[in-house]
Amino acid sequence: MNKLKSKEISAPTMNGHRPDLRIIDGAGEDAGAPAVKVSRLRKTYPGGVEAVKGIDFEVAPGEVFGLLGPNGAGKSTTIGMLTTTVQPTSGSAQLAGYDVATQPLLARSVSSVVFQDAVVDRALSGWANLDLHARLWGVPAERANRRIAELVEAVGLSELIGRPVSSYSGGQRRRLEIARALVSSPRVLFLDEPTVGLDPRIRHELLDVIVGLRNREHMTILVTTHYLDEAQRLCDRVAIIHEGQIVALDSPQALLAGLGREILEFRVEGSTDAALSALRQRGVARGDSFAIGARVTVPLHEHATTEALAVIESERLRVSEIATRVPTLDDVYLELTGARLDEAA
Amino acid sequence: MSAIAEALPIPLRAAGRTRRASALLTIAKRRASLTSKTPRQIAVPLLGPAILALVVAPALKVATGGLHTGIDYTAFVGVGAVGLVIPLSSIFAGLSVLVDRHSGAQRELLAAPVPRAYLVLGNLIVALGLATLQVAVLIGLTAIRGGAFHITATGLAWFVASALLFTVFMYGVAETLASKVTKQEDYVGATPAVAILPFFLAGALYPITAMPAVLADIAKVFPLTHALALMRYGFIDPRGGSLHDIWGMHNVTAEAWLSIAVIALWAIALTAISIRAFKRSAVS
Repeated sequence: MNKLKSKEISAPTMNGHRPDLRIIDGAGEDAGAPAVKVSRLRKTYPGGVEAVKGIDFEVAPGEVFGLLGPNGAGKSTTIGMLTTTVQPTSGSAQLAGYDVATQPLLARSVSSVVFQDAVVDRALSGWANLDLHARLWGVPAERANRRIAELVEAVGLSELIGRPVSSYSGGQRRRLEIARALVSSPRVLFLDEPTVGLDPRIRHELLDVIVGLRNREHMTILVTTHYLDEAQRLCDRVAIIHEGQIVALDSPQALLAGLGREILEFRVEGSTDAALSALRQRGVARGDSFAIGARVTVPLHEHATTEALAVIESERLRVSEIATRVPTLDDVYLELTGARLDEAA
Repeated sequence: MSAIAEALPIPLRAAGRTRRASALLTIAKRRASLTSKTPRQIAVPLLGPAILALVVAPALKVATGGLHTGIDYTAFVGVGAVGLVIPLSSIFAGLSVLVDRHSGAQRELLAAPVPRAYLVLGNLIVALGLATLQVAVLIGLTAIRGGAFHITATGLAWFVASALLFTVFMYGVAETLASKVTKQEDYVGATPAVAILPFFLAGALYPITAMPAVLADIAKVFPLTHALALMRYGFIDPRGGSLHDIWGMHNVTAEAWLSIAVIALWAIALTAISIRAFKRSAVS
């Protein structure tokens, strides 16, 4: 949890009005308030596209919260509204108690973003990019220099930091952007698809960096991703977002527990509906079993694999590629969204 | 990895004017750093106007015998070429806004706790500095080439004021255009209309009275026409012949104030429009 000491934020003024100075103190009045609070948040783009359809969630201080969903699910629009680059159609959102619509400068002063694609000044050095962030967020020069030096070492860029960013590899650039977002010690850090487009080795390296920073920095992190293993590894809680709506919200462990301890998976030659129906009638499968294409996934819960295999044999189902494994968030995700996609089709 | 100090909230520095000035300066310094890394942005806008002032004007002076008004034609066109340098310089500056949006750090700036108008104003400060440098080089080259200038302190003030206000206007045009278009091709395609066409109608190469009356009347609306008239009044023609061509009055000082007011109004209007356009383009 947050280990903030008693400090005063002297915030920038807006439109000539000096905003209230707030005490952010781990033991103070804000201690129990959510770091992120989203209520009935909705975004309809011109043309009638409903990207986000009235979502609600709260993120506690120090929590790592994941927004999971495929491309177009509404994750980036949600991040856009929280970072004040997308105007909500209705509803409200607060960062550390600051309303993003009515107090955008204050909301931005307590947050930082790592964007989905590269957002850096390539002609400038890595250090210049970090220093720019420090100055814009009003970090005193001496503290900024110390902080930048620490972060550069933490993300392994000490050798490169004086070079133009144009000479960095994709992974190095992404590490630089993560370090940049941390320079101002934000209360809320947004990671928008932080590993997208990176090769697997660099992706895992970067996840290590994020996990390490997460453990040291104790800040609230809101991460969007469509890599479910990433969410499982990083997040305290995840919200699965599908077609602009949150369809599940819990800890990864709780979501996984809903599918039992083992999953049976096989390929069916013929109707998957008939196979599922047979397994359900015989009590081996529940309502959470599902099919995507010809592949059937059956959470076994309290049943043994042998029971399911016996049913398959007695029902003379023509199956292949039978396997059992432990459930992953992929299964939760497919169960929640795959079936719906099938219905929509 | 080294140990990172335990995260503490970092207090933003003193609110108010100091903080705002610091943020504006930071944005301007960033733009200046980026501009210094792209020398073409400094040199290319100067090439055409310099050739105009150093080669074309003296050649035309020889071929046609000049203006027959006692004003040196090389200096006349040298000042007129300022009307090409400033638009081209501003258009290049606007192009960098597009680059920022597509492959630069614009979104990081939009996420920063500074008013978004500062992102426009910070870039404007650098555009003003760069245009000042380019105009000084152009006038210097024209003088070396033999252009006859008669510069007084008052004349310098009129020249500088009109050049700066016209740059503010042109940067407003460029920033607005950059906010309205999505592709660099569209932006470049609009350059002739906004940067070059007015140059031929605003009396840069000849007095506006040399054009048909209807075109001369249209030219009087352009801020460039007023800017060139004021710059010539300041540097080469204390009698204010170009101002008289616009206003037809007998008090040249009054004509100068009227022209500076026209440019100032254009500059204020375009700055306001450009900030509004930028804010609208930044938020979907």
